[in-house]
Amino acid sequence: MHIRLAMIVGVMFLKIELKINGKFRTAEVSASERLIDVLRQKFGLVSVKEGCGAGECGACTVIMDGEAVCSCVVPAFQADGHDILTVEGLEENGELDVIQQSFIDCDAVQCGFCTPGMIMSAKALLMKNPCPSREEIRTALAGNICRCTGYVQIIDAVETTAARIGVCRR
Amino acid sequence: MDKRSYKYIGRNVTRFDAVDKVRGRFPYLADEPFPNALFGAVLFSPHANAVVKKIDVSEASRIEGVEILTYLDAPNARYNGSEWFPGQDDYPDETVLTGHARHVGDRIALVMADTEEKARKARDLVRVEYEILPAVTLPETAADMAGMLHEDGVKSFDGSICYGDLEKAFSSAAYIESDTVTTPKIHHAAMETHSVLAIPRGDVLEVRTPCQITFGVQYSIAQVLDMPLSKIRVIKANMGGTFGGKQEVVFEVLCAWAANRLKRPVFINTTREETILSTRTRAAVKGKVETALDADGTILGRSFELIVDAGAYLTGTKKVMMAMGKKASRLYRIPALSYKGSVVRTSTTPAGACRGYGSPQIHTITEIHTDLMCRRLGFDPVQFRLKNLLGEFEEDPSGGANIGKARVIECLSRGAAAFGWEENKAPKVSGGRFFTATGFACCTHGNGYYKTKYHDFSNMSLRLLEDGSAILRASIHELGSGATTALAQIVGEVTGIDVSKITVTEADTQFTSYDSGCQASRVIYVCGECARLVSEAAVKMLTQEASKLLDRPVRFYEGGLVCEGKKLDLGAAVREIMEKRRVSIEVNFEHRPESNPASFGVHFAEVTVDKLTGLVKVNRYLAIHDIGQAINESFVRGQIYGGIQMGIGMALSEELPFDSMGIPRVRNFDKYHLVNAPDMPDPEIILIEDNEPGGPFGAKSIGEISTVPVSAAIVNAVNRALGSSLTDLPLTPAKVVEAARNMGE
Ligand code: FES
Ligand code: FES
Repeated sequence: MHIRLAMIVGVMFLKIELKINGKFRTAEVSASERLIDVLRQKFGLVSVKEGCGAGECGACTVIMDGEAVCSCVVPAFQADGHDILTVEGLEENGELDVIQQSFIDCDAVQCGFCTPGMIMSAKALLMKNPCPSREEIRTALAGNICRCTGYVQIIDAVETTAARIGVCRR
Repeated sequence: MDKRSYKYIGRNVTRFDAVDKVRGRFPYLADEPFPNALFGAVLFSPHANAVVKKIDVSEASRIEGVEILTYLDAPNARYNGSEWFPGQDDYPDETVLTGHARHVGDRIALVMADTEEKARKARDLVRVEYEILPAVTLPETAADMAGMLHEDGVKSFDGSICYGDLEKAFSSAAYIESDTVTTPKIHHAAMETHSVLAIPRGDVLEVRTPCQITFGVQYSIAQVLDMPLSKIRVIKANMGGTFGGKQEVVFEVLCAWAANRLKRPVFINTTREETILSTRTRAAVKGKVETALDADGTILGRSFELIVDAGAYLTGTKKVMMAMGKKASRLYRIPALSYKGSVVRTSTTPAGACRGYGSPQIHTITEIHTDLMCRRLGFDPVQFRLKNLLGEFEEDPSGGANIGKARVIECLSRGAAAFGWEENKAPKVSGGRFFTATGFACCTHGNGYYKTKYHDFSNMSLRLLEDGSAILRASIHELGSGATTALAQIVGEVTGIDVSKITVTEADTQFTSYDSGCQASRVIYVCGECARLVSEAAVKMLTQEASKLLDRPVRFYEGGLVCEGKKLDLGAAVREIMEKRRVSIEVNFEHRPESNPASFGVHFAEVTVDKLTGLVKVNRYLAIHDIGQAINESFVRGQIYGGIQMGIGMALSEELPFDSMGIPRVRNFDKYHLVNAPDMPDPEIILIEDNEPGGPFGAKSIGEISTVPVSAAIVNAVNRALGSSLTDLPLTPAKVVEAARNMGE
């Protein structure tokens, strides 16, 4: 950790450096700020949603160093030196990631509020396990609540993504 | 028309907003801060029943730029946030802010600042001294304590429905059976918490809200602000789920009043805890049902006595209670019925609309009762129901609309065969502790308001544009179900215009015409039919104008314009008509339905109960629905899966309990157990599509009914597994273990 401290009008700020969606960024954060606040407010990454603020719904899920984390329970300063991926970072040259396309094709989106977090949890799973079983998908999404879809089409979308990536031989 | 030749109806067209949503670029209110808006943090009461003795804002107001409005500043006008049209007689007992807190989470003051952080910090510096009064937590004693909670002293809000000769039914009965079933207070749990933005613009007050009835929001605000409806512009904002939780007006009136008073935009956003404690819930119900049968198991009469918990304010709970009664005569043939409901207020979070509007409660009560009654009397639960279910086009003896093309008997018989009911009906035991059994439940729900006390109409206009595209100006509220896309499919089917070239608007009271709102399962049956009819009218106008233009007969055939055997380009025709005939192709149409048939569904569940831990696992599930016609089959499936998720929660794990002081035991999802992916089965779905008259291409409702039979199906399966008579929902592990312990005793 190479955190620099700074005092601005009596509040302690920490200067952090981190990689967000492939780009190096810096931010000054207070000790009480959460990663979700920094992503939404400082970097405008509003795909990161707040559903509970308590690590219980997964709406705020981002990928940190390859792991899905709830950004509402990660203090911002802890992201210093880490690599963060949000839904905004999935597109390449304006083309959707195969997981995004699969969510569309499988109709895995209703109100859409859980969708970015759901996609990031599923993405983290597929990065580690490109051929998950339906049960493994369910387990990986256990921390992401969706009130609209009953998960079925979301699980279909993750299976479809795996099939489209094409490493699976089943 | 042959269904197979449909171009769009029944097809899985991708929803319009899917791309933006997977890109994380579909902005909800909280994602797009409005310039110069004040963030409003509501000061909520920490007590269940308490009168404010002193409120001290001095410290909070020392923070620069903070604006504070307390109950002392607020208008006294009382309103009922469930009313969506003038003259509805819902008792008004709510104010924008109050000095008498009637539940934990009641609104005392609104503290505003330029940032959320500052507003919340200032809010926490407001000092309030309360005189704490006894909490009213039990519905059974609420009537006697009414005066302690509300100065009006109204004990209860009662209603009844009666028809037939009940006395004769019961006196001539071979059997009289009764059960009492309790259903829990539930949090809607839309993933987006409640928020609203109000912007004063000249003499017009603009309000953007993720709501279900813009015209209802407009009316509620007008009651408190004393402004003409025409000066209140309500715009439906992007919505992250509702399930009825955003149907009634909650923070809109407060936000509009504050913005109007300060002449600045005000944005109110809430945390999950604030949404759980301070918005709406599904009303908890305790219902006693008694059924009179003849010796063969034909229903002769049924009586109900219900007590319904409205929470701290009446809200729409009396409407919900009456809606429950209205459903009681629309599933089985019941020659005589008495329904008595009593709504009481308690010092807990208010109830209100919630997916199904009382249907899940009433059908949970009757379907659990029906299974227990069959078991006690030795009737087969499938045969018993087949004998008593309604057939097509039967009348509703309570005076409701004709039942329509009912296919519930087919749902049950096909479902029983598909699920292997006969083979699986005997419970199985494994490992000495795992009990597996099957249960099912039937249900009905409506399609709008026709023949109820509320009016029902939809007014839309369709304009065909000069490039052959189309705009449907409709007061739709997209709730996430895909309604706007489904309506475009209807327009596309009639006009032949590619759906990708059709835009369907959402409600904006300044620009879109009147509609009764996205409630009452009326969107497909009523608004969808309006979209079909306005499309037909536009096509008619187009062919007439084209005929005049060309001075030859132009017909509309197979999705396109044809003149003497030659196909005409639709866009070119519109252009030329505009240019040469100086007429634009736009029609306005108002649809006032004259039918309100029932939708039906039967759900089957196979569960395994672990006697030791009390955990219930849903292994297999089948949902079979009589929906007339799917407009978009994938959307229909999505509604059903989501409905099942909610219903399993109501059966097994979801509830909002309060202690004897009225303090909530649940404040966030750590203690509120929603069904997650590992606990959700992969349901099988069968749709019966037999064309309901009066609906667009024969379609009828699915969104609400899909959650109605779930809880009873699960509870019935658990009761078969354990031989138990559990009727107090949710069936938490503790209750299941207790029931398992009593097995065989
Ligand atoms: S908002 Fe972070 S887990 Fe719910
Ligand atoms: S799509 Fe609405 S919460 Fe998942």
